[in-house]
Amino acid sequence: MDEKKSPPAAVIILGLAAALCAAFAVFMFAAPGLAPRFAPSSESGNAGGPAAGDGEDFPTLILYEGPQTMTTSSTASVRVNGHELFVYDVMVNHEHIWNANTIPSDTPMAYFDFEGEVTIEVEAPGLGKDIESAAVLPSSHGIVPAVADNRVTFTVTEPGFYTVIFNNHVNKAAHIFANPLETDIPDKDDPNVLFIGPGHWTMDAILLKSDQTLYISGGAVLHTVVIADNAVNVTIRGRGIIDGSDFPGHNQTGSYARVPIDLRNCKNIIAEGFIIANANCWNFNSYSSENLEASNIKIISARQNGDGFTFQSCRNHTVRDSFARTWDDSLVLKNYSGSTRNITFDNIQIWTDLAQSMEIGYETNKGRTISPEITDVLFKDITVLYNNHKPVISIHNSDDAHIHNITYRNITVENAFMRGDNGVNNELIEFHMLKSGWSAVRDEYGSIRDILIDGLTVYHTLDGGVPASRFHGHSEEYMLENITLRNVTILGERISDLSALRANVNEFVRNITVE
Amino acid sequence: MSTNKILTVVFCAVIAVSLLLAGAAFFMGSGNDAPEEETVPGLTVVRAPAQTEAVRPPGFPDPEENWIKLPDGPNLAEGKPVTSGEHTEVFEPANTVDGDLNSYWESKGIPAEITIDLEAVYTVQTVGVRLNPVPIWEARTQTFEILVSADGAAFTSVVPDTRYEFDPDTGNLARADFDPVPARYVKLIFSAKSSGRSNGAQAAEIVIFE
Repeated sequence: MDEKKSPPAAVIILGLAAALCAAFAVFMFAAPGLAPRFAPSSESGNAGGPAAGDGEDFPTLILYEGPQTMTTSSTASVRVNGHELFVYDVMVNHEHIWNANTIPSDTPMAYFDFEGEVTIEVEAPGLGKDIESAAVLPSSHGIVPAVADNRVTFTVTEPGFYTVIFNNHVNKAAHIFANPLETDIPDKDDPNVLFIGPGHWTMDAILLKSDQTLYISGGAVLHTVVIADNAVNVTIRGRGIIDGSDFPGHNQTGSYARVPIDLRNCKNIIAEGFIIANANCWNFNSYSSENLEASNIKIISARQNGDGFTFQSCRNHTVRDSFARTWDDSLVLKNYSGSTRNITFDNIQIWTDLAQSMEIGYETNKGRTISPEITDVLFKDITVLYNNHKPVISIHNSDDAHIHNITYRNITVENAFMRGDNGVNNELIEFHMLKSGWSAVRDEYGSIRDILIDGLTVYHTLDGGVPASRFHGHSEEYMLENITLRNVTILGERISDLSALRANVNEFVRNITVE
Repeated sequence: MSTNKILTVVFCAVIAVSLLLAGAAFFMGSGNDAPEEETVPGLTVVRAPAQTEAVRPPGFPDPEENWIKLPDGPNLAEGKPVTSGEHTEVFEPANTVDGDLNSYWESKGIPAEITIDLEAVYTVQTVGVRLNPVPIWEARTQTFEILVSADGAAFTSVVPDTRYEFDPDTGNLARADFDPVPARYVKLIFSAKSSGRSNGAQAAEIVIFE
């Protein structure tokens, strides 16, 4: 008969020790946060901040360090959910009349990407005075910021462009660009991708060829010009900044025009997400090109001929969800060589420090082509934060083009402060056939007809009254025709006739109606 | 082997493996994706690289590395008197000796000639014609002959009429070398060009070396 024996005590203790060690190993693998980890090798990393609480919904938030060669603005600080943003000082210009030797000032600008709900805090020690009040533009956001202890606080839930005005004055207004999250970031190893990473970069020019993508990463400040000439299927995108501050104003001795985005005779262009600042002339130029889709482009300019989006003789161009604060025309269409057709500006914020907000002209046939047109143009959901100089809506047919089927739909002018030029050019709307210093065709006139303004709202004006408007044809032969003004409200008053609009209409205008 | 011995070996092995695994987890991370204590959920900060100045971005090689090289000595032409036939608009011949690649001379047509007075006799052996090297000055050809003179009247050809490639990728310049020859006046006679954008011959700088 076999006798069963128990193991000795030493073996039992050894077994217990083995079980404990095994449990400890399992715990070390399962428990988070106890073990040090190797730092991530990518450019992205986690940042410290408030600890997460249980059950909270956290937004997705992407912040970009500024280049190490630069220091964040001393004028303003911006925090998003408690995290400090890098704030750039960008050139702006508070001189609201042409000056060939103008000297810009600067204003703070910051950006980030997000999804969800975030709280933005802004302080502005550079104001040199306490923050007693603040507004967040555009007013359509309905944001009422809290102001306390020299800090402006507000919450946003949608990507967009938020401008903080301090003490009811435009000085040092803070532009905060809250981008949507990026998707499908190009592969830097793709041979057709020109990849600019975060950092401070300079090069004379980037010449884009067909099928190439230029990606300018958030956190990049890139001094260059981007040129595409006779290229098809070109993409320019990213969250970074194309910065022209290295270059003197284009009209200064020894300098020349350095257009940050310069498209010529191109086809199928996508532009998305980047910022253009401190350009020394025009900003986003397209000449004789077809099929542009631009979105989430932010432009701030302060120097001579700092036009925002400027398209000459282009077809099928759409710009949407974008921002242009400019020291010359903000959105402008001209004919330099052939006709302009099918152009849409949709959901654009404008701040015009000089010249016009939405200009067609003056040059409508600079290339002296046969029967040029500007047609099928739509300005839709445009918010003019400020116009400080010349007309908000203007068509100046200074050559002989036939300008027709132009629609302005849902235009909001928060501050219609047209100071004009010594008593002239201070209209709200101006449609005018005239010869000017920009005329290339001096002996012929064209036409302006079939123009619809459907929804124009003005919140504030410089003197608290209705600004004038002008509708002038040239002659019995060259008239303004079929102009419809519908749903126009100025200073809370619905405009019911041309008199209420303070419209200056000459005898060469046929069929102009206010509905 | 007795049961006790087997158990002892197994338990020791378990202890050893467990301690090794725990150590690995401590030093290398567990592979568990749960956030760290310090992490803010949803937050990413894109870091800036270490830099002390703005530089050319990686992946965009300096095009000057591929430029045609010029001699190291002084450019004898800079600032010297220069004459040409009719020029286009404001693009006068003096622009070829002003040391500025942004300004240029453009003749009113082809053929065209331009002459530089070195104001003294030098033994010259290299002449270069430069255009602005920025990419918007697209590649082209220009054809020209080089002649020299001691008195500005009787010229001798030192390089016959030759077609030169101008390409921004190589600096948009043409270099001609010849046997050293005494010269006070250097003349270029342009006989052809490929660019349809210009009216005539073009030169941002004409450079002359001993």
